[in-house]
Amino acid sequence: MSRKVLLHVGTPKTGTSYLQDVLFRNREVLAAAGIAYPADRPDAHFLAALDLMQLPWGGLQAEAIGAWDALAERVRGHDGTAIISHEILATASRSQIGRALDSLGHNAGAEVHVVLSVRDLVRQIPAEWQENVKHRAQLGYGAFLDQVRDPERATRIGAWFWGVQEIPDILDRWGQELPPEQVHVVTVPPPGGAPEVLWKRFSQAFGLDGIDLDLEGERHNPSLGAPETTLLRRINRKANAELAPADYRPLVRELLAHQTLSRRTSSPRLALPPDLHPWVRELSASWIAELGARGYDVVGDLADLVGAPPVAEYADPDRPREKQVAAAAVDAITALLLDDARLRREEQRLREELADVRGALERAYATPSYRVRRALVVRLEGSGLGRGLLGAYRRARGRSSRSA
Amino acid sequence: MTAGAWAWVAHLRAGGTTPWQSWTSTDAADEGGYLPGAQQLELLRRLNVAGRPSPALVERVLTASAPGRGRPDLELVGVGEPRRFGPPAVDPAVLSDDELLRVATGLLAAELAAPVEMRDVAGDGPAGQPVSTSRRRPPRTRRFRTRYELAGDPWLAAAHTRQLTLDGRPPGGPGRSVHVLGSDLQTMLAHTWAAGSFGTGAPSWPDFLARVRARRRLPRRVDLPGVVERFGARPHTGRVGVVLDLAALPRLVGVRRLEPVPDVPAHATELARQVGAALSLHVVPAEQAELLASALLPRLARVAGPLPVVPAEHRDWVEDAAFGLRQQLLRARYPVVGDPDELLPTWSEPVEGSVLGLAIELLLEEAT
Repeated sequence: MSRKVLLHVGTPKTGTSYLQDVLFRNREVLAAAGIAYPADRPDAHFLAALDLMQLPWGGLQAEAIGAWDALAERVRGHDGTAIISHEILATASRSQIGRALDSLGHNAGAEVHVVLSVRDLVRQIPAEWQENVKHRAQLGYGAFLDQVRDPERATRIGAWFWGVQEIPDILDRWGQELPPEQVHVVTVPPPGGAPEVLWKRFSQAFGLDGIDLDLEGERHNPSLGAPETTLLRRINRKANAELAPADYRPLVRELLAHQTLSRRTSSPRLALPPDLHPWVRELSASWIAELGARGYDVVGDLADLVGAPPVAEYADPDRPREKQVAAAAVDAITALLLDDARLRREEQRLREELADVRGALERAYATPSYRVRRALVVRLEGSGLGRGLLGAYRRARGRSSRSA
Repeated sequence: MTAGAWAWVAHLRAGGTTPWQSWTSTDAADEGGYLPGAQQLELLRRLNVAGRPSPALVERVLTASAPGRGRPDLELVGVGEPRRFGPPAVDPAVLSDDELLRVATGLLAAELAAPVEMRDVAGDGPAGQPVSTSRRRPPRTRRFRTRYELAGDPWLAAAHTRQLTLDGRPPGGPGRSVHVLGSDLQTMLAHTWAAGSFGTGAPSWPDFLARVRARRRLPRRVDLPGVVERFGARPHTGRVGVVLDLAALPRLVGVRRLEPVPDVPAHATELARQVGAALSLHVVPAEQAELLASALLPRLARVAGPLPVVPAEHRDWVEDAAFGLRQQLLRARYPVVGDPDELLPTWSEPVEGSVLGLAIELLLEEAT
């Protein structure tokens, strides 16, 4: 039984991919320090979260079946500290959280801590829209903002956004059975600060200080500019009907978004519309007051949640400069052409390999003994008696294969 | 009012049907760690209105979480202080059917998956392999039988093939005749949607039609000329022809009669589709299709009602596509049994059935 479980439950877009990459690559170093990060593949905790929360995810759910129970069993089997981390856990329901805590030994002696990393809404709102677009969404930024601002949260977009972003509610749910000192809030520093500050906060919250970890991971979730996100949304509108999820992931999300469009860093960045800043400022202030009053362990500064002032020149992705979108589209077409050329070379190589194999097979079939056996089988299959004899022979031989 | 909410939970547990807004009692009742969501409580109330759910089903409803994305478990309006954070509390009576269906389909999926999960826990079968819910031995193959293969309309082809196989007449064999089954295009589209819904998944009927339209080509199985071409090019294939008159099929496959294939009405297929989506969270796709076909389809095949109807905004292109199919069959002089005009759709008005009502009926069946 783990003596201590650190459960990192969100929020998205707070450096979670980097943290998870460091933890995964340093599993052995952590184990030597008595800390388990139980995962056999980088997305193991994502699959466990899908399983716990019964979430379909573009066909990945088949790989997630039973993943939470398997993870919890490994946590319980570890004598020391165990870490679980995935940001979509933020949206779990009270009953799912109850099940999760029980399965981790919360009522059987384990000391469970919940960690929530948080970032200001000024950055989170546009980032969430972009993430939706990278997951096939077709709705414009304005429509997204309308759904987010709908107080009923009746749409999937609104329900999901607040489920993973409303910090006091997430901690209401996850902290329902825990004392406040076992709830840790890690704030993401304001933009422009030293990049290592966030890691130092994570390191402090997870008790990793003093462990010699390799921090040179490459894995991160790159962001797109406003025209690039618009382009992706237009591609979704055109291609969604024909492109299966299994093809969308490598072609659109990886090749186009992450490997191509995210490299265009000089285009205008996505931002919160200036007219929404007063609403966000008021909301953030109420969160900061609430979190301060609850007595959680804050790593960083709750003032980080205030967010930056409006940008000087706002680029509305619903009314983009078409020249910028066209330039992004040229980059996208070039990337697809280059990838297509690579696949054509691979196809040619496989054709040649197949021709070699066919030639070898034909040479094997050309032997006199094979021709005699084949003629005999064809003759026997032509009559009922022959088929019976063949069947008897095959049963005697001990396998049902029909090959001669 | 928290005491009142727990008293209402106790009332519902005991089979009560009083809506939350009419509930006034604050009698002492057992309290748990947290109140079940408004969706779960309202579903239980509807179950109580419709029948007598078993104690086990009551517990399953109260501890369920709705699978998939959507609104989280909602709190009851009027309980405790007004919420400053989280989704607004609701009157459960005004929740939409879709909200309750998410919980109900999750419960039905868990019920279907239970034998598979028990097998995996017990370890008495290979994980990932389809589970057969039938213990019947495979039928002995007849020595003398007509060699055939059925293609085209996936619903009809699969059902007739299954029927013939159970009669000892599996498809295949060298020189087999291929019969490409078809009917009017509206029915073939509805059958294709049903085959996906009872298989490894399908979008909703409106989304299905929108996707077919966006692709500007019919699903492969109902593009009858294309099917004939593909089978004609395969080695060891005999005569390939289109069968639009299903009354002729028994003669073509060498039997006296074939049972007609029951159609599943639109709302029952929609329920199967949603249960399938929830089932995909418990079992691998092959098992999902097997469980839907063997365990859910027989229960839904008893439900009366019409097939889904193509809505007015899609009728033009469906008519054009049907006419195109007819013309291709005639021009290419493919062998056709039946009248090619059978491909042209005739329109009727849609009849809405209650998907939630059907889900509640099935949940109560489990309890009896």
